[in-house]
Amino acid sequence: MVSFILKRIASGISVLVAISFFTYCLLYFSSANIARNILGEYASQEQVQAKEIALGLHRPLLTRFFEWAGNALHGDFGVSWFTSEPVVSAITTRLPITLTLVIVSIVCIAIVATLLGMAAAVKRGWIDRLVQGAAVVGDAIPDFVLAIVLVSVFAITLKIFPATSSISPDSGADAWAASMTLPVIALLINGIASIAQQIRSAVIKQLERDYVRTLRSRGIPEWEILFKHVLRSAAPAGLTVLSLKFVGMLGGVVIIEQIFALPGMGALAVQSTSMGDIPLVMGVVLYTVIIVIIVNLLVDLINGWLNPKVRVS
Amino acid sequence: MKFGPKSSALAVLAAAAIALTACGGGTSASGGGGGAAATTLTLASLQDLKTFDPTDAHIGHRMPIYQAVYDSLIRRAPDGKLVPMLATEWSYNKDNTVLTLKLRTDVTFSDGAKFDAAAAKANLDHFKAAKGTDAYQAASMKSVDVVDPSTIAITLNSPDPAFSYYLTQALGLQASPKAIGTDGIKTVPDGSGPYVYDAKSSVKGSQYVFTKRSGYWDKDLQKFDKVTIKYLVDLTARTNALVSGQVDAALLDPKSGKQAEGAGMVPHKSQVDWQGILLYDRDGKINPALANVKVRQAMNYAFDRKTILAQQYLNEGTVTDQVFGPESGAYVPELDNTYPYDPAKAKALLAEAGYPKGFTLKIPTVASYDPINAVFKQQLSDVGITLQTESIPDANYVSDMAAGKYAAATFNLYQGEPWVAINQMVSTTALYNPFKNEDPELTAMIKAVQNGGANSAELAKKVNENVTKNAWFVPMFRLNQMYFSNKKIDVQPELQQAVPSIYNYAPAK
Repeated sequence: MVSFILKRIASGISVLVAISFFTYCLLYFSSANIARNILGEYASQEQVQAKEIALGLHRPLLTRFFEWAGNALHGDFGVSWFTSEPVVSAITTRLPITLTLVIVSIVCIAIVATLLGMAAAVKRGWIDRLVQGAAVVGDAIPDFVLAIVLVSVFAITLKIFPATSSISPDSGADAWAASMTLPVIALLINGIASIAQQIRSAVIKQLERDYVRTLRSRGIPEWEILFKHVLRSAAPAGLTVLSLKFVGMLGGVVIIEQIFALPGMGALAVQSTSMGDIPLVMGVVLYTVIIVIIVNLLVDLINGWLNPKVRVS
Repeated sequence: MKFGPKSSALAVLAAAAIALTACGGGTSASGGGGGAAATTLTLASLQDLKTFDPTDAHIGHRMPIYQAVYDSLIRRAPDGKLVPMLATEWSYNKDNTVLTLKLRTDVTFSDGAKFDAAAAKANLDHFKAAKGTDAYQAASMKSVDVVDPSTIAITLNSPDPAFSYYLTQALGLQASPKAIGTDGIKTVPDGSGPYVYDAKSSVKGSQYVFTKRSGYWDKDLQKFDKVTIKYLVDLTARTNALVSGQVDAALLDPKSGKQAEGAGMVPHKSQVDWQGILLYDRDGKINPALANVKVRQAMNYAFDRKTILAQQYLNEGTVTDQVFGPESGAYVPELDNTYPYDPAKAKALLAEAGYPKGFTLKIPTVASYDPINAVFKQQLSDVGITLQTESIPDANYVSDMAAGKYAAATFNLYQGEPWVAINQMVSTTALYNPFKNEDPELTAMIKAVQNGGANSAELAKKVNENVTKNAWFVPMFRLNQMYFSNKKIDVQPELQQAVPSIYNYAPAK
């Protein structure tokens, strides 16, 4: 198990290095106007050149990358070129919002989709048709359309929730809960629809296996067969889809964050990329990659715990 | 065991319950607009500030954030008149090159430092040296002298009819001399304004919270206990926040404005910008066709401005053929009939200019201009001109235009003080005259405006007539600025300004 984790961590680090370098290269080739954009329209050409030198934009790609990587290894991600805000503080004030949004959504999706998927697989009939129908409808409705409908109904007409985020540093749990509910629901529908479908298929496949018949013939209660054996064997399929959904959401929440004016990572990523704020973009990329690696590692570990065959392979 | 209908229904209910776990406390969060007699003001801002350093301040959308914490030397009233603020009186010498300002003596900054002539000089000198976002405002400033502790004299290189206006904007903002040029002021402002920054409740890039400064010298400018400015870049989010009562005022657009009006919000419409095509390459360096005045005039005749305004902007604006606005003093009403929609005349002019089959014009475009550029393309193609659009990143739009990469571009420009407008798009130093076009007659007219003193706006009419007749631009419309507020507050729109100044809001009477 330890060597399994070590292997995963090693591959994670190599992915991290590769993505950092690749991102830095992309930013390098699109960094033509950065100094001009920082100084504004009225700065003279000499000032722009001086700023380029001050930021080190005139130096070769590899020199710049290794300097950034060296500082990053010491925990120094620098400051935003545009706002002078330290990169770490810019990210750490926004990360909790995005992570809360994504994690709460994923947990809700996991619970609801599992219940619905299992019910559909075991019970079939109307609930199965409902899940299948919902999967098609849910997939067809984009998150942001749903978000706009939710705002107009629950925030503007019924006034139950705030239309945009009311989270501030001194807000309590109630402000967080109120501000997060509609965005989470907007993310849930699509996720539940597609993952319930996956779990339904996996459970049906397991229910047809010989071991289920054997367990039943030994008189083991149906609930025990379902939750202890079938679900355990069907889980890896669902977990993989959930982890993919999580990674997709990290990037996909940007539109939801914008509609609800949630000060999360999405807005920061879009803003910093459009301006060419290299230290901030690199910080955002690095944090995101680390989160994705951790999530993948956790999914692998849970899969290994659920299914001994994974550990062996 | 099989799931019966009851347990299935239970599972669905459980799913719904989980999805709605966080319902509690929802209503308590939507009270941003304040209670019955508003003691708080919450505004939506279209733009975020770069830093709190006054040298990073920028006219328009970001100014209210700076105005909350910094006083300026002179204040601009809603009707555009300049009134005392930190400077109690000011006057020019005979040849308009030395401006002497008398300053208040009872003002202190957040850190306890006193405001005096030395502090004002330090601020002005630093603004010029820092060459920040609005550095052009200090371009004509040669030196600042302390005459006595409450008087400064600003010497200009040459007369600048807009200089006292600039002292109401970024150039006039006064920070504590102890904080000027430090890194600290970038994240925590240190001024003497009506409100104090509440760093603990603020989040960079999301919201800025300010509380009433105790002992502020002008209670009339301090009408709320707390002011919050939320950065809401998304139009839908701004509209929703306003309609649901989370913010008290926001800038919308004609379409979302209809929704806000339907929800009982109060419109405050004013015309700030003109929109049209700026024909930069009037010497034909990269597009020879534009060197011919007949070609430029043909382009002006090619547009059915009234129909475009109705279809694209729901008639929220006025069609125009000139780039100076009605309140600028340089406006000539008759000029608005210079180029009526006449495609036949446009074709005839193109033929006379040697382009009977038209020509191709390449312009840059960004997402926000895509819809209007599509319309321009259609109308120009009707007279034989092919408009090619090249998509570029938003951040590069202005810098690419300023670098002379395009012969023309669609843009919105401010219709303000004539001297500001001339230096923005007509003079050889103007940012939006990238090819430095000039002709001796026009240069003489510009010189006359510069030295015209109180008469300069009147003299600017000649400049207006010249650039209109010579078709330097294809002006289309003066668009309505669709500013909306709820009924808890009173708002006075500010002449020729994108959004009202922070002083223009008051609790509803």
